[in-house]
Amino acid sequence: MEALKFIGAAIAVFTGGCSGIGEGLICAKAIEGMARNPEMYSKLRASMILGCALDETTSIYALLIAILCLFVG
Amino acid sequence: MSEETIRNITHFGWDMFSGEVIMSLIVMGIIIIFSFAVYFKFRKLDPTKPDKGFAMVVESVVDKLESFTVEMMGNKWRHFSGYALGLAMYIILSFLVSIIGFPGPLTYLGNTLSIALCTFFLIHITAMKKNKLGYFKRYIDPIPILLPVNLLSMWAPLLSLSLRLFGNALAGYTLMSIVYYFLGVASDAIFGGFISTGASNIFIAPFITPVLHLYFDIFSGLIQTFIFVMLTMIFISQEDPEEEDSSEVLKIQKGKA
Repeated sequence: MEALKFIGAAIAVFTGGCSGIGEGLICAKAIEGMARNPEMYSKLRASMILGCALDETTSIYALLIAILCLFVG
Repeated sequence: MSEETIRNITHFGWDMFSGEVIMSLIVMGIIIIFSFAVYFKFRKLDPTKPDKGFAMVVESVVDKLESFTVEMMGNKWRHFSGYALGLAMYIILSFLVSIIGFPGPLTYLGNTLSIALCTFFLIHITAMKKNKLGYFKRYIDPIPILLPVNLLSMWAPLLSLSLRLFGNALAGYTLMSIVYYFLGVASDAIFGGFISTGASNIFIAPFITPVLHLYFDIFSGLIQTFIFVMLTMIFISQEDPEEEDSSEVLKIQKGKA
């Protein structure tokens, strides 16, 4: 049963990979926009960081679940 | 891993009068004293002359936040920047105190839940004020049969706001603890032969952890503060029916929380 904890934590951390894909998409699109429209650079950068942080929330939830799996109980 | 970390994680933060709660009160005290200091300093200032030094910094911060609030919520919400400034100061200071070794208040779920509850109540009170009885229409929104679903999704902002902060702070804290523990073991293995145990595990950590503190405490703290304040503004200005969503950010952010 002890091993199941680690398997559960690993599955939870897998969510981080998914949110990594999302963050990559955000950055790619933002850089595309910056390249097309350089005078929007600072605005796009702010939105990009914000979007990344919002996206990161899911992976933070996953990390939280993984930590709880490992240390609680 | 230290005893403190284990207790923190295993209790999921539920521990009355733990270091986190006391630290949270201290942070609030610092903010209150600071605010009074600013108030008394500004009363003595001559309004006809341009400010300089400390007063200028404070004024520019307040100005920036006010213009940000107006940009996000429209001109009639100008007074809302006071609440936003309070929130921002509390969250930033809470992240910053954990750099100098105090227990970070946000690693306690009660604290983050409290500030999320403030926002949650503000959202619903604003909705009741603006929509009067129409407020209750949201629970039977497309069709009345969705009432239980709507009652459940009512709590989503509260959960996401509180867990986002808590998860960020706790993840940073746990990772930092693991790094400190690991570096302590490594340092003990290298220097253990020369110095007695207990003092030998502090030699590597100071050279490696500042960068991690920079990310987990300062960068993450600033970003999370910004997001918390912005989401609060978006949630609250959404409840205002007359408000036309002219800002583009509003359209992008809708439905994301």
